[in-house]
Amino acid sequence: MQTPLEFLAVFRHELRAAGIPFAITSGMACIRYGLQQTTKDSDWIIAAAELLKLRGLFERCERRLPPWVVQYRPIFGAPFEAAWLDGGWSSHIFIRTMGGGPDHHLDFFCHPPRTAAWRHDPEEPDFADRDTVTRMKKTDRDKDWPIVGGLAAQAFARGDQSAVLHLRDASTLRRAWSMTPAAVRPRAITARPLLESIDAGSEDLRLEFLLRAERLVWEAVNRHRYAVYQDAWKAWYRRWQAAADWPWPVSEPFVAQHERIVAAAHDHELPMKPLTDRVRKDVYAKGLADAAILANIEPERLQAIAPPIEEVLP
Amino acid sequence: MKPETDARDSQPDGYPDWYYELLARTMGEAKAEWARLPRREREAELTLLHRSFDTPDDLSVWPAELDGGADRP
Repeated sequence: MQTPLEFLAVFRHELRAAGIPFAITSGMACIRYGLQQTTKDSDWIIAAAELLKLRGLFERCERRLPPWVVQYRPIFGAPFEAAWLDGGWSSHIFIRTMGGGPDHHLDFFCHPPRTAAWRHDPEEPDFADRDTVTRMKKTDRDKDWPIVGGLAAQAFARGDQSAVLHLRDASTLRRAWSMTPAAVRPRAITARPLLESIDAGSEDLRLEFLLRAERLVWEAVNRHRYAVYQDAWKAWYRRWQAAADWPWPVSEPFVAQHERIVAAAHDHELPMKPLTDRVRKDVYAKGLADAAILANIEPERLQAIAPPIEEVLP
Repeated sequence: MKPETDARDSQPDGYPDWYYELLARTMGEAKAEWARLPRREREAELTLLHRSFDTPDDLSVWPAELDGGADRP
């Protein structure tokens, strides 16, 4: 049996040999950085300009002996095309490298959520850096938040000033902030307004309360964000399957699957960028309103510590 | 394919104690102890787990932006 970590090493090698730049992110990056996750799937960031090369690699892997099976998963996000992946979608496939499996699940992003610009880790160039992974982990899943705190603590221990943007533990954050040079502080406060309350002398319990309220903003905005993609996909899928004279999923070579999906996405209008500027502002406002209720705090007070839209929905 | 070797793989990451204490508080003692191991040993432990158990995955049928995740059934 090929384990997920063994497959990760094999696929990294394939991408490098094909000359396709990439960065492994999310759960597998956390494992690399020493934060245990039970994940078996892998998440990959690839530039949109590399998608054609990546599809070519899939086709070559299907033709080799023994052949790999490369297939879109039944619910696959969006086609492997820049038009959609540039609009914030991701593409989901599985790869089986040997008979009997297992099927390895891979998710590909061109624009990972909550990251304006992603970077490779300077010491581990096959992986996204801690800042990128931390931003991606600010989801509405409880299990992701200890990871956010852990990655930020690593960054602080390594002397990275950006740690103050992500630290979750009140006393560690206070210590990191006290070491942050004055010249850097205004920009950090713009990205994370909560930091100003430390300067204002918030007690630890008060800071803890604000940290929880801040997390609720990230969670609530994310719930509304993914609902936009979920609703768009489900509506498109219903239109597509109502009109199609063949059932999805079909088992056929990746290139044939890809052609079908691209045609269906065009014909039945899977929106390329569901998170338009108007929708983005609406999602942010709804998330803030929800978080104010959940945190039991007046919206105006929450606004004062909420991360700005440029951070939450860049 | 030969496994890649890196001198860092056989040494602990060497973060200060406060970091591992923070992990123990937020993620549990077992994960904090695992984090103290050298990377090679960490990954060997996970590989053994993957070989031995059908461990849960991050993904549900729905991918992340479509309501996926084992914690979001």
